[in-house]
Amino acid sequence: MADLRLFGICCNWSPFACYNAAGMQGISMPENFRLVRVMCIGRINQALILRSFEFGADGVILLECTDEDCRYGPGPEVGHENVHRVRKLLHLLGIRQERLVECTFGAHEAEQLVRTLWSFAADIEAMGPVGGSGMPRGEGREP
Amino acid sequence: MNDPQIDRMIVEMSLYQCLECGKCTASCPRRLSGKEYSPRLLAHKVIAEREDNAYIENAVWECLTCGMCRERCPSGVEFNRFILEMRTLLAKTKGLKGYRAHDGALHSWMRMMTAPGLVQNRLAWLGEELQTDPAGEVAFFTGCAPYFDVFFAGLQVDTLAIVRDSIRLLNFMDIKPAVLPNERCCGHDLLWTGDRENFEALCRMNYRSFKDAGVRQLVVTCPECYNVLSEHMPEVIPGFDLEVHLLHDLLLQEFHKGGLALRPLRKQVVFQDPCRLTRLSAHRRNLRELLGLIPQLTIVKEGNGSAGSPCCGNCGFINCDAYSKQIQVQRLREAQSAGAELLITACPKCMIHLTCAARDPLQQGKIKTVIRDLVSVLAERIEWYSGEETGKRKARWKK
Repeated sequence: MADLRLFGICCNWSPFACYNAAGMQGISMPENFRLVRVMCIGRINQALILRSFEFGADGVILLECTDEDCRYGPGPEVGHENVHRVRKLLHLLGIRQERLVECTFGAHEAEQLVRTLWSFAADIEAMGPVGGSGMPRGEGREP
Repeated sequence: MNDPQIDRMIVEMSLYQCLECGKCTASCPRRLSGKEYSPRLLAHKVIAEREDNAYIENAVWECLTCGMCRERCPSGVEFNRFILEMRTLLAKTKGLKGYRAHDGALHSWMRMMTAPGLVQNRLAWLGEELQTDPAGEVAFFTGCAPYFDVFFAGLQVDTLAIVRDSIRLLNFMDIKPAVLPNERCCGHDLLWTGDRENFEALCRMNYRSFKDAGVRQLVVTCPECYNVLSEHMPEVIPGFDLEVHLLHDLLLQEFHKGGLALRPLRKQVVFQDPCRLTRLSAHRRNLRELLGLIPQLTIVKEGNGSAGSPCCGNCGFINCDAYSKQIQVQRLREAQSAGAELLITACPKCMIHLTCAARDPLQQGKIKTVIRDLVSVLAERIEWYSGEETGKRKARWKK
């Protein structure tokens, strides 16, 4: 567990409200989970998801608003499309598609969000690290 | 910018031979599309005003690397090589990488292929109708086609068709190639965006897989893969001993031997020369000869003379901008006004870039053009020579 890298990309609105509420209530979260807050999942493109894996993530979860809740319009739909495409690329690269997860939340679903994170962490732990024999040298890493 | 490497480059790439005649800039497709970019001025700055870091650092990444300047240069300045080495230097020392199209997604997967434990699922397209021999000494190098097929699904460019048709043609010539399940990217785009380290890692890994599979000869269709495998890979691998063949060359040899024929194609076509095969290596004549073997084909020549077609507007998936689009839209407009019914390319990248431009919403479908790869056209029309000459005439070139 300790050497796995879990990475979350979280929409600023409903999912982050949940994440924040969970934090305020002191609910424990999985270890080794890093979260990046963005204004909308529609801002995340295929490249950024792929790059998470390039830089060594073992599992990536996109935390989105429900389709009808998006503050900007098509955000979650863009998310679905990107996840669909990147999963195919991951498959070609021999990285299990289940390592990329997408979940939608309403603003009041803090407990559900934490449960999702725990089950995501358990799934990735069951799969182990990507690649087995070491990750590629991502361009972000110092030599 | 006082790196001693630059002094070496100036000498090795003959930059001091520059006469400042400006033929390079006058023929540069990027400049002709209106971009403030000048190979002549870049050469001048590097020789005489090296303190202008901002200009040099910017200009080095503007080049499309199409090789037009090198071809036109009367003094033999190795401009492509200069750009390549400058990019490598600037990437290494300053972390520059150019403005990457698609936010660098393609470069990302190329770098991910340097993972030692990589086990790909890249052969799902290989149907039973294609004959391959995993133990064969001749391997076909697929390149990134399976990845493009997913990534550019929205553009509806069938890059896998080129690969299937290549194997079909090899089968027709009685060659059953090995297709390696864990072949990695050739690294072309990493090389040309300055990521020498990962490029070399890919070269070494690919070479090892070829050796492990007992491969002695490689057949390649993609011009970029061909360029890398035949020119750059031997620089990285000491004692490189693989024969690298371009599929088009093999086909032409086979046609010269006789026994093969092509069914007629009564169409007016425009041909897009791939830079890696024409300006960066000497295959223009072969490609044109192959094209000329298709009976009843009329190859329409566009405006700018005999020097082959201009760049498709983009290389290495960097610098795609309004000026690239301008080059592509103009190319398609020219083809259309020349009366072309079909545009034949010989590089999957040309096909991707031009298809993307043709679908540009701003053009409202006005420059929609049928684009096919030369290999696909040949695979569709090849047959055994039956000895009949009736009604057949060779392709002709129309001014």
